[in-house]
Parts: sequence; C-alpha cells; structure tokens
Amino acid sequence: MFGLDFLGLPLAFAAPLTLLALAGLPALWLLLRITPPAPRRIAFPPLRLALDLAPHRQTPARTPWWLLLLRLLIAALIILAAAWPAWNPLPAMPGNGPVLLLLDNGFSAANDWPARVSAARDILASASRDKRPVALVGLADAPGDIALDSGADAGERLRALEPRPHVAERAAHLESIRRFLDSHADAAIAWVGDGTAVSAAGAGIADAEATFAARLDALRGARALDVRAEPFAGALALAGSRNTRDGLEVTVTRADPRAPAQGRLRAVDFRSLPLGEAAFAFGDGATEATALFDLPIEIRNAVARVDIAGQASAGAVTLVDDRQRRHRVGLISGAGADTASQPLLSPTFYLARALEPFAELREPRGALPDVVARLIDENATVIALTDIGVIDRQTAAKLEAFVERGGVLLRFAGPRMANSDETLVPVRLRQGERTIGGALSWDTPKTLAPFPETGPFQGLDAPQEITVMRQVLAEPDADLNRRTWAALSDGTPIVTADRRGEGLIVLVHVTADSTWSNLPLSGTFVEMLRRIIAMAGRHAAAQDNTAADAPGASAETVSPLRVLDGFGAFRSPPATARPVPRNGAVSASRDHPAGFYGTNEAPLALNVLRDGDRLAPLDLGPLAGAVKPLSSPQSFDLRLPLLLAALVLFMADTLIGALLGGRRRGRLTYAGAGSALPVLLLAAALLALPAAPSLAQAPLSDIDRQAALHTRLAYVLTGNGEVDETSRAGLAGLGQELAFRTSFEPADPVGVDPATDELAFYPLIYWPIAADAPPASEAALRKIDAYMKAGGTVIFDTRDAWSQGAGGGSPTPETARLRQMLAGIDVPELEPVPPDHVLTKTFFLMDHFPGRYATGQTWVEALPPAPEGEPRPVRSGDNVSPIIITANDLAAAWALDDFGNPLYPTVGADPDQREMAARGGMNMVMYVLTGSYKADQVHVPALLDRLGQ
Amino acid sequence: MAQVAILPDRSRFPGTGERGRARELAARLPRLVLEARRVATSLAHGIHGRRRAGPGESFWQFRPFTSGESASRIDWRRSARDSKLYVREREWEAAQTIELWIDRSVSMAFASSLARAPKVERAVVLGLALADTLVAAGERVGCLGLLAPRASRHISEQIAEALAADVAGADRDLPPAAPLRQRSEPLLIGDFLVPLQDIEETISFIASNGARGHVLLVVDPVEETFPFSGQTELIDPESGARLHLGDAAGWGEDYRRRFQAHREGLRAILTRYGFTLTVHHTDRPASEAALRVLTLLASRRNGGA
Repeated sequence: MFGLDFLGLPLAFAAPLTLLALAGLPALWLLLRITPPAPRRIAFPPLRLALDLAPHRQTPARTPWWLLLLRLLIAALIILAAAWPAWNPLPAMPGNGPVLLLLDNGFSAANDWPARVSAARDILASASRDKRPVALVGLADAPGDIALDSGADAGERLRALEPRPHVAERAAHLESIRRFLDSHADAAIAWVGDGTAVSAAGAGIADAEATFAARLDALRGARALDVRAEPFAGALALAGSRNTRDGLEVTVTRADPRAPAQGRLRAVDFRSLPLGEAAFAFGDGATEATALFDLPIEIRNAVARVDIAGQASAGAVTLVDDRQRRHRVGLISGAGADTASQPLLSPTFYLARALEPFAELREPRGALPDVVARLIDENATVIALTDIGVIDRQTAAKLEAFVERGGVLLRFAGPRMANSDETLVPVRLRQGERTIGGALSWDTPKTLAPFPETGPFQGLDAPQEITVMRQVLAEPDADLNRRTWAALSDGTPIVTADRRGEGLIVLVHVTADSTWSNLPLSGTFVEMLRRIIAMAGRHAAAQDNTAADAPGASAETVSPLRVLDGFGAFRSPPATARPVPRNGAVSASRDHPAGFYGTNEAPLALNVLRDGDRLAPLDLGPLAGAVKPLSSPQSFDLRLPLLLAALVLFMADTLIGALLGGRRRGRLTYAGAGSALPVLLLAAALLALPAAPSLAQAPLSDIDRQAALHTRLAYVLTGNGEVDETSRAGLAGLGQELAFRTSFEPADPVGVDPATDELAFYPLIYWPIAADAPPASEAALRKIDAYMKAGGTVIFDTRDAWSQGAGGGSPTPETARLRQMLAGIDVPELEPVPPDHVLTKTFFLMDHFPGRYATGQTWVEALPPAPEGEPRPVRSGDNVSPIIITANDLAAAWALDDFGNPLYPTVGADPDQREMAARGGMNMVMYVLTGSYKADQVHVPALLDRLGQ
Repeated sequence: MAQVAILPDRSRFPGTGERGRARELAARLPRLVLEARRVATSLAHGIHGRRRAGPGESFWQFRPFTSGESASRIDWRRSARDSKLYVREREWEAAQTIELWIDRSVSMAFASSLARAPKVERAVVLGLALADTLVAAGERVGCLGLLAPRASRHISEQIAEALAADVAGADRDLPPAAPLRQRSEPLLIGDFLVPLQDIEETISFIASNGARGHVLLVVDPVEETFPFSGQTELIDPESGARLHLGDAAGWGEDYRRRFQAHREGLRAILTRYGFTLTVHHTDRPASEAALRVLTLLASRRNGGA
C-alpha cells in the first residue's frame, strides 16, 4: 500500500498508479464533446423540393457542458475506485517475508472473538495485499507443522477457526514456531492474544505458559513482532459451583481488576429453561467474587448450567452435575411387609415426605442384604435405616465400607433396634429403650434442648412442642458429648453421629414415625434431615476423589454427551472428543472438551475451569512494549461506494440522455447511454487490472498442454546430446511397436527436465544415466521423488551391462552416479524381477528384459512375500513399482532410424534379442498403464469356472 | 435503412459523347439496347389482340365513299367486290409522331439499395424500349430536339447514339420548351424534381399547339418513403445544397407530405394540359411502366385524336 495522506486524511490508495488515468480525462472530454457522432451524409435528389422544410428540432450538436461534466465525474469516480482507495488503510506488516499469525483461541478469547477475528483479518488483508503468504496458528489447537497459505486460503482457515472450550496451551506451539522461524528467516510475527492465563488451584500459572511471551520473544530474534491485545484481559469466568446450605454458590473470577466488576449469573436447567439469576460484584481490585443463587432446594437441584449473562465463552459457563446436586437416599425399613398396607404407619413415610424436595429417594423392597447391595450399586449417598434390628455380618461389612468411602448411614431407632446388639451405631447403646411420660413413668415427655452451636444443626429452631416419649439411650461415654448433635432438655442425646472414614453414621434416637416422638411431624425434622444430607454431599464428592486414587476405578470412563463450544453453547460432541474417567479427574482439554459426559440420567460435568482455578493476566514480559490495541480504526474500502456513486450517476446520465434525445413518440434514443457506455467499459477494464495479477495462475506451458492431451512417454534430458537422441529414438521406436501391437498409441516422446518440467502428465519416464552429464539437481530429485510417490514410474538405465563385470567389482561410473542419485530419493526395497512378477506377464510372457545388452539385471520394487498356500502364477504389489532399474541400455535396442532400421546393433548371441527388448519395453509400458490388472486376470479362469457351476 | 449511391457522372450518358470512349460506348450501348429490346419483346407479347398493321402496309381502313371526294381516292379493287364504293384510308399519312425525351440530369443518376436500377438507366431503358416497340408498331419516333421522327428499325440504336452525343442536353431537368405540332405526342421520361411552376411553364409551351402527351415519372422508392432516421445530412447532388437533420425520421414526415403535394401538383398540371402521368418506381420491373404507357398510347389512338 502506498499511503498517500491527503491533507492529513487517513486515505490511501492501494493502486495509486491507476490515478495516472486521471490525466486521460481531458482526452475523454474531447471524446465526449464530439458526441453526438457526425451525421450520415445522404445524397438526396428530391431535397430541392424540401429544402425549405426546416427541421422541427435539432439535437444539439454539442453535449451540454453539465452533461459532459457528469460523464467526466463518472469516469473520475471509476478511476478513483480502480485506484483502490481505503479510508483508514490497514497498516502494513513490517518486512516483506511470510507472516506468522498466532491467534489465541482458548475459551478466554471467545467473548470478544469477532474483534479478534477482525484484527486477524486486518493482518491477513494487509498481508495478502502485499502478496505475502500467511501461516495461521490457533494457539489452542493441536500443535503441528506450520504451513504457509496464500492470503485467500488463510482467510478460509481463519473463518474456520473458532474458540476452543478449553485453556489455550500456548507453550506447546513454541517448538513448531521455532521450526517455522528457522526455515523462514524473513518472517514477521503477529500475535492476537487475549492476555489471559489460568492459574490452577494451588499450582498457579504453569511455568511454560507464564514464560510463553518471553520465550516467543527469544525465538523471534530480530524479526518484527506485532502483538494485538486489549489493554487488559477482560474475560470473566466461572470457577466451579457448590451447593451449600444457603444456596448454589458460584465463584466468578477475572484476570484483571479492570475487567467488568459486576454482572449477573443465569442458571438454567438441562433443557435450558431459566431457573434463576444472581448478581455478583467484585470487590475493589479483587479478582474473585461469589454469587449465590438463593433458590428453593428443589429448583436448585434442577440447575444444570450457570453462565455469566453477556459473556459468550465456555469459561463463563459452569456445568452442574449430580455431585453438586441432589443426593440419592436409600430408605430401608425394618418394619414388616404388613406396613405396606398402612402407609401412614410406615416409618419411611415421614422420611420420604421430608426428603422428597431435595433428594432422590430409593425405596427398594426385599431382603435387607439385597436392598443394601442394590442401593450401594446405585450410588446412593445416604442410606437411611429405620428400626433395623440385626444386620447380618456381610451386609454390615458392606455398609461399613460404604460409610468408609464417604456415605452417610442414617439410622432411626425403633423397638427392634432397642433390643439388639448393635455395631453400626455412632454410640454404644443401652439395651432397651426408655419411656418417658408414659403411664408407668414419672417424668413428663422431654423436649428438645437448643441445638449446640458447634453441631451441624446450629441455628435451627428447637420448638418446645416437640416431645419425645420414648428413646434409645446411649451409654455414657467420654466421647458422647462430642458425638451428640442434638439432645433433649435433660441432656440425653437424641441425635448422635460418628465419623467413620470419610463418611458418617448418624443415629436418631427415636423412630422415623410418630410413635416415639412427634419430631418427625415437625418442620425441624425436615431441616435437620436437609443438613444431614447436605453433609453427605461434601462427603460424596470426597468419595469420588477417594475412588480416583484407586487404580481400578479410574479405568471406568464415560463418553461425551453434550459438549460446549468455545462460545459456551452446547453442541454435539466432535469426533475428537474422548471419554473421561467417571471420577472427573481430568481437566478440559482438546481431547476432553468441557461439557456433559455420561448419560442423560447421571451426567458428569466437566468444566473449563475446575474448582479453585483462577484467571490470571498473562505476563507479556518483553513483548509488552509491542502491544497494539486490538481494534484498529475500522478500515473502510472506498471502492464500493465510489463505484455505486458512479453507477447512480450513470443511471442519471442515461435518464438525462433519454429525456434529451428521445421524447419523440415515446422512443428512447440511447445517445447518452452510448457515450457513457465506453466509459463504464473502461472502468471495468481498469478495475480488472489490479485484480488480474492475483488471479493469474502460472500459465500452462505448451509442452504441458500437449502432454496433457496425449499420453506420451518421457525421457530425462541428461545434457548429453547422443544419449538424449538415443532416448528419443528409442522411445519413438517403442511407441511405434506399441501402436503396432497394442491398443496404446503414444504420441511422440518428449524430453523433460525433472527440475523444471511438470512430470505429472507422463506415466513413464525413462532416465538414462550418463556419467558425464551434470548430476541431477536437488530440485530435480525432489520432483522425481514426488513423482514416484504419486504413482509414476521411472526406468533408470545405467546402460553399462557390458562394462559391469570389467571393473572387477568396483561399480561403473554410471552405477556410481545412479547410487549417488538414489541416495537422495526415497527408494523402496528392490529386488531383481522375480519370475512371477506381474511385469513379466503384462503383455508378453517374458523371463528377462534385455536391451542392447542381455546380461544386465532388472530391478523393481520388492514384492511382499508370497502368501502361504496355493502358489499363484503371478504376484503383484498394490501399486506399480515406482522404479525399474536396468543396465541393458533399453533405448538403444528400441531405437530406429527414419527408415525403421535399428540404430544400434544388439550385443549378445540371441538373434531375437531386439524383439525381446521391444517386448520387454511393451511389458513395462503396459505394466505402468494397467498396474496389477494382469495379476488379477489370472483369476479369470477360476472365476469363469465358478460362474459356470 | 436504405442505402443510396450517386452513380458516376458518365452513367447519365449511355455511351459517352467522348470520342475516346468509343469502346465504352460500344460496350455499354448494346446492353441498354438489348435490355430495351428485351422489354419491347415482352411488351409485344404482353398486349394481345392489338390491331396493328404490318410493315410496309399503308392501308388503314376502308370507308364508304362520300360524294364530293376525289374519285381517285376510290379503291376500285375493294369497290368491285360489291356495289358500294370504298375509299381506302391511308393511315400512314395521318401517322402521329412520338417525341421522346429522357431526363439525364444529375438527379437521375441516383439509385438506392432498394431500387433495381438507377433512375437514369431505367429511364433510358424504358425510352429505348418504348421507341423500339412503337416503331415496330408503325409509329414514328423521334427524340425531342435531337432526332427527327422516323420509323427506322434501328431506332433504339439511333436514339442511344443521339443521347450519347448530346452533352449539353444532359443537364436539362426539363424538356426543351418548344411548341410541338398537334400530331406530335411527346413522351417525357424523367423525375421532374423541379418546382411546379417550371414544369407548368414547359408543359404549357409544349402543348401550346395542342400536342398532348405522356409523362413517365421515374421514382426511386427512397425518394417516396424517405426511410432515414437519426443524424443526417442531406445533399442535393444537383445544386450541392445541404440540409442538416438532427432527427431525420421526424423530418421525413414533413418531407413525405411535401413530396406527395408535388406529385399531386404535377398530376394536376398534366391533367390540365391533357397529359397522362405514369409513375414508375425503380424497384418495379420496367415492363410494368412500359405496358401502361403503351396502353395509354393505344387508348389515345383508339379513342381518336
């Protein structure tokens, strides 16, 4: 871009040379002035009679000046448009080599993604304007080799790039960036960054990420580096949620204290129906805030996802799964089956009513051991046993293990329990229960004492109308006080609990129905249960963590269900998403995008930020000075408006022309249009000019066009005139034989220089090795290598079979040259043509491939070993051998002069050697053209045989 | 849109007067003469049942002898066949002469792409053909001011030679204004693109002794229809006058009206002096006009002059 600052205006022309056309406007003035065109002259004898007939109205001989001015204005507008003017032109990238464009596309870049893409697009546009190739790297994508693209391709890739629902691992790209910069010394670097890093809980920012900027700076050396970033990282993110007693608590984190200080969170359920909103506000300078959803527990339990309103980023979403949510409570009743007919007498009835709002209840029927095993299998976090007397040892062991792993065993007393010897209880119990206030008792029923300040029931009301008439009693114990969560007014424990391993055993010393106490009828009972179960939540999470340590547990994985994209919207999981362990011990990454895993019934949430992760500003270190703002003033291409204006003026001109020249009898004359049309055509041509170079492809050379139209054999020009002529004559002779005997009629052979010519058109290239010819260049070898890889076949002919033995074991110069050459090519394993190779059967049945000499060995790509079993008459690989090496000087045997006589005598005793050489050549050509077809053909008799049956 | 062309000047001289162009004359005349003959032949075949006398026969009709006539006029051979006396009337004595005049002015050297032939060529062909036919029919044909009336079998060649030799007369738009004898029947072929009063003056002179004749108007179709449009500059080949038209199509309307008025005026003048008017368009075959002229001539004979 040649910036032309007009009067300080940010206006520039990309093709300022076009402005020279403005000098042509005076010529256009003259051109337009002579319109309308000179009149037709017609000799007309009767004119004498009508000479006095004055014309009605004469078209003015001169276009009116204002119309002329209008047309000149059209032309000027078009020329200006062709000069590609731009308002606020894009600043050019420094240097003139390729541009390496790094783009942060982690979740933290998602919120202002359009701005980032627009910044990246500006860089692309300025690079493609200067015809510089661009390498585009998304820093959250998998690191890999960095390829250069043209500007248009890079634009496509940029369009395809999207923010990822995980943390960008920038440091992983440093190695490929280093490789790229090593091979492109003149590259310029641009980094559109989001300036955000994630400090993991307890670990802080990973060293590799924290030093990314410094290491990038070290890598770039003296190259230009352009960092585009906001002045501060404005991303907000949610770092986990906790279902606490007061509500759903969500942690909001920000990287920079200047980021938005307050906002609202939105909670939705699994079907995206909004459930509630909560405000959050950061303290002054704080980077962490908490929002509390004060929702009824049942609604809270339905929350599946919390996000920050107005922040479109996977990081601004935290998904809530069962671990933060309701608990599965298994209810087991010791009462007999007869209670089923009297549900109001069933002890579980009160429990179920109390627990329903915030827990998922399971009440399986059956024998106690089965029921317990089932509940544990179903992942219940709380098992409530009501009046279970004796627990068999096996079940007790299971329950013990359940509690050890973090489950809560909630027991209610009852007549059965009072008379059994208990193990799974928090305190030692006295045999029998005490009855208060009964007919035989002295005491009045006891009421609840206020809940202890240290216990989980702190703050709950202890209403005086709750009375306890019977209870089981704990043996006095030194620990009894500590284990007591609630007591009666006389100090007798009414709720005791004991920690076992990770879990709890809680015993309520009354029944779960109202026979012993009216506690189950009170609201306090509900609150108490809720608190107990909330404790189970914490322990359930701990349970998962414990399980993760067990080697066996981590093998269990769940597959992705719905994952987040970088913008925090749900979508179906991509093919690359891989299952995560059920314990959720992994963090979101490329393989494990954030989202829900598992099944719809029990989804597992994987969040971008785990509990405790915090956003942190990325230290730009030495690059801090190079930071430019993300949004440059909007560059505006003025071509379109100018052209539109020209078009509108042109339409006006046409209208004026029609009004001036064509009102007669409603017929329009197009004199005006006719004169402005050339101007428009000129405009189109001018506009096409700047675009033309970028559209132009390398023109197809004449040789290539010919080669593409006719199949022809090719030989490599060695530079040795005699060898080249022999090759040409040989291939021409072979071509004659082919046309004569086969249906393949090749066009004239063509000599190619593998370094410069396009080889893709030739099925077969004959390469005679001349020791005195200059060695093939590196470029030629690369192209030959690519040609062979792409399915072409090269016949290397050392032409030295005659002299091979003479050197006493030392290779001939040609062989040495061939070895030196093949050292630079990826040559497959070779073997002498085996007798069952398809090459020996493609057209003629051959056993060897003589040329001018018959003694040389012919080598081809080694076939895979013959399969076991029935021997097959012919074998072939999957592909045509990309290489055939011979020493027999094939071309010399094929070569004929203009009269069809052989050019060179054959060396050998066999009078048919020339014929055999031609047949061998035809076999090679057929082999190259038909591949393994002949090898498959051998099955035809068997197939026909089978069809016949 | 029609194309027009001004023919080279010499085309107005069927066989130029220049001695040096004798060869061209020889080459050109036979063509015109042959063309004229061809037209004449088709005319002879075209009008059947026309009474005409054979060559060399002077007899026209017998009529009963009226007393007082010279007895020498009695045709005795006829009278001998019955009892009445008959007089042989000799028509040839009263034979009228056809005075031909062909306009060869500059305006005649004009042909549009719509026409089959240039106006002058068509006029000459028509004139020669009519002369040939009339002579064959026993009429005496002359050329007004050039050739005395005669009944030569080679009348067309003679007229052609006379026309070729007449350089001065080639610029005349109108026939020489000299009175003709009553028995002369002028046949004027031309385009008559001159002011009406000039035509009337000339015609009145010619007819001043009672001669009545025929006018064959040769018109190029372009002259009538004026199929031009757009920016046009019209040039009068005769005077060199120019007229610039911004929009020829619009002007053409007026022109056609004017041209028609001129035609009507011409017709009125001719009618007043007992002339007939035959309009011939050069995009039509020549024989059409020739037939009509012959019919007019014949009807005048039959009608009795």
